[in-house]
Amino acid sequence: MLTQVLLQLVVVVTLMVLVSIAVFVGRYRLRDTRLEWRARIRAAAPVSALLAAVLLFNSVARQYGPDVSWIIHWNLTWPIYDVEGEFILWLQSFEAPAITAYFSFIYIYGYVFLLVFPVIAYFALSNTRPLRELLTAYTLNYVLGLGLYVFIVAYGPRNMMPELVDALLYDTYPQYQHLTRQVNRNTNVFPSLHTSLAATVMFLAFRTRAIYPKWFLLATGLGVSIAISTMYLGIHWAIDVAAGIVLAYICVALAHVLVGRWSFTAWVASLRDSSTSTGADTNTGANAGFPKTPPSESTSKSHSHSDSDSEPESETGSDPEPERA
Amino acid sequence: MLAATAGLTVSTSGCIREIRSIVNRNEVEQLSLTISTVPADGDRESIQLARAVGSALESVGVDIAIDMLSHEEFRRAILVNHDFDLYVGPHPGDTTPDFLYELLHSRFAEEAGWQNPFGLTTLSIDDRLEEQRVAENGGEDDENGDREDAITATLESVAREQPFVPICRPTEIRLARSDRFEGWGEGHPATRFGYLGLEPESKDAAAELRAVNTDARPSQNLNPLSAEYRERNLVVGLLYDSLAVARWRGDERPIAGGEQVDADTGTETNSELDPDSATDLTPWLAADWEWTDDETLHVTLREDCAFHDGTPLTAEDVAFTYEFLADTTRGSRRFSAPTPHYRGRVDAVDDVTDLSETELEFTVGTSQPVAERALEVPVLPKHIWDERTAQASLPGVTVAEGTTEALVTDNVPAIGSGPYQFEDRTDREHVTLARFDEHFTRRDGVDLPEPTSERLRIQIDPRSTSAIELVESDSADVTLSTLESYVVDDVFEDDGDVPETTILESPSWSFYHVGFNARKAPFTNPRFRRVVAQLLDKEQLVEEVFHGYAEPIATPVVEEWVPDSLAWNGNDPETPFLGTDGDLDVAAAREAFEGAGLRYDDDGNLRVRH
Repeated sequence: MLTQVLLQLVVVVTLMVLVSIAVFVGRYRLRDTRLEWRARIRAAAPVSALLAAVLLFNSVARQYGPDVSWIIHWNLTWPIYDVEGEFILWLQSFEAPAITAYFSFIYIYGYVFLLVFPVIAYFALSNTRPLRELLTAYTLNYVLGLGLYVFIVAYGPRNMMPELVDALLYDTYPQYQHLTRQVNRNTNVFPSLHTSLAATVMFLAFRTRAIYPKWFLLATGLGVSIAISTMYLGIHWAIDVAAGIVLAYICVALAHVLVGRWSFTAWVASLRDSSTSTGADTNTGANAGFPKTPPSESTSKSHSHSDSDSEPESETGSDPEPERA
Repeated sequence: MLAATAGLTVSTSGCIREIRSIVNRNEVEQLSLTISTVPADGDRESIQLARAVGSALESVGVDIAIDMLSHEEFRRAILVNHDFDLYVGPHPGDTTPDFLYELLHSRFAEEAGWQNPFGLTTLSIDDRLEEQRVAENGGEDDENGDREDAITATLESVAREQPFVPICRPTEIRLARSDRFEGWGEGHPATRFGYLGLEPESKDAAAELRAVNTDARPSQNLNPLSAEYRERNLVVGLLYDSLAVARWRGDERPIAGGEQVDADTGTETNSELDPDSATDLTPWLAADWEWTDDETLHVTLREDCAFHDGTPLTAEDVAFTYEFLADTTRGSRRFSAPTPHYRGRVDAVDDVTDLSETELEFTVGTSQPVAERALEVPVLPKHIWDERTAQASLPGVTVAEGTTEALVTDNVPAIGSGPYQFEDRTDREHVTLARFDEHFTRRDGVDLPEPTSERLRIQIDPRSTSAIELVESDSADVTLSTLESYVVDDVFEDDGDVPETTILESPSWSFYHVGFNARKAPFTNPRFRRVVAQLLDKEQLVEEVFHGYAEPIATPVVEEWVPDSLAWNGNDPETPFLGTDGDLDVAAAREAFEGAGLRYDDDGNLRVRH
């Protein structure tokens, strides 16, 4: 059951990504990517490794997080319900099978696509900064979001008002329950990570709107739809969504500040430099796409940079490592 | 000057005294209550009932908050810590009314588990319960009186006091695959007999019986004594044996609009039986028992039984079990820690002596039917549980007195002697049991339902809809937990489309109720409790929350024991609803509260010292 749903997800999202590459990325960027991919991967490797580590930790933490949450026992369900009242019910009053189908599709497929595609789209840019900012922002989302989950116990509207919340994803499409329960625990609704990750992509798409103007439009449409879908499907409260947007803003702002501040390769290089200068030379100098920058310079350098990818070499070879490494 | 001061002192002293008597009166504040309950995942009904109770109380001027707790936390708050105002949830119930003894007797008010969680301390109820405990069947002329009369008297007193409001008894609906197994419904599916004696119809089925459960707790903890994790003890019933087992007669009627209900399996004859007919107590681990006199029960065990780890099961283990359940510290501490489960059953036994490897003698202080309930407790291996009498410890944490390791261990792997043994589990995913081939039911000459499939895999799936899908798509054979009532209509509709499935409809002895914490004002006041009971239209709740798949009740026992005076008559005979068709007559309800001595302020808030 699970493999079938997963397979379907992979196929659909792959198709969406392929079409989007054709529409948004274009042939020329792909051609450049073919030439420069090694350098770009090297640039994004440290933060990717960090993200992978956080995701791995995430899967473990989700297992034990709820036990810790219940020991702390800070239950926000009733305060949230008390404050926002029956907004979710108002939203659900627009219920129609077509709308439910749309939002269910968006919640599962649209969401995964929205997270996956910008990784590819930004990878296709010679300037690796947007990619690194994106991955850093993802990492921050998980770190901060999980931190909040550990402290806060809150159940979503579907657990509070099961009879009133009609358009339930898991009743309309029970098969998705197998998928989402692998990653979600029912006490983890504040804030909405669906919303915050979607909003993160949206905010970054706004920043890169000069490069990908059409993608910005699509990301906005999808992001807004995802935020609404979490409420429409009875999974999140409006307050969770609002908190998710705030979290996304913080993550994007932090990512902007943090990316480029620390250089992993430069740090490695400096280590090597101190032992043998020739070793460092052959290592970093091998990369044709990146001018070699002395480590002392790259660590202190502040990045003034534009989002245009017309200046592919505006970045130094320094690799980012966010604070939380 | 002096005179003037003296005069002033005299004139103000009266004034100050008045100020003092004004200022030192405490404010009577608006009554503010928290309703504890569980979230909709896995129990859609409780939260809906809780919100209905909440809005009824709000309309009569009470400030309400709802505290949603996970299943474990809910039970810990209600059953262990007694930290609640009022709660809504199911009680596992029982087939006989004898569970009321431990549920309501004041001497259990300090204990954990379904032992008087309400903290009710009413001498008249204690008296009724004690009379019920000793009254014999057909004992009208006996000094101890007649059991049925005694039960009626208890039920009437309980209804009058309303320590909790029984709301309804749900109908248990499950879905099973009739193409894989035959014999569904010959035993009640809330008991081990629902899963023993099934006839596999294919090799696959003989290899594995695939059940799906919406409650994740069996995958997390297999401790038969856990107050938080055990509900109806189904998995415990498969892993552990008891001396005797209750079998629900006239059990199941697979009803459905499909040809899969074969007339030749005897379902027709079954359905003629009264669904609420009594249960039989069948010898299980005990080969037989005999009353040597009114107070002495002689029990003979089956020969050559063993636990799953190969240790022989002897009378010593049985005697140990009864001692241990009465106090899991085994006397090592002054502060005893009795089991939260089986408490009333064990309490009937004054003494157990093992006469030989297979012979035991029980001395009891109750009537025979009550004492025989004691035979239903799971027999624990002494060599494992004797090690668990110490106080649980955690570095740097003061552990609550009475928290023995036995009460908090997850008991994985569970070593019992039951028809299935523990094999494997993954938290929130599955618990898998393997057939215990040496179990006595598999011996020749033992005419009891035996485990047929080699393995029993209980998969966890938190929603009824996805559980149904697993059964319909042949990924599971049966839903272990009952289906939530909102999907039942759909299941009946779909049933014609999937002819391989069959619907199991069984009566239930569990019931939904609103429990009050009688330790706290204003729930200390039975008049207040009675008016709260009258705010609920049980009939309407059954329609709206249970979609009709439940029976409204005025008393918490199975139909067989309901006295005429408490039979449902379209309304509650004891605490009739103050209103009509679900609409509460708010003015009448407020008047009823005032009649009970409570007061409203000018804004219509109910003000109570609490």
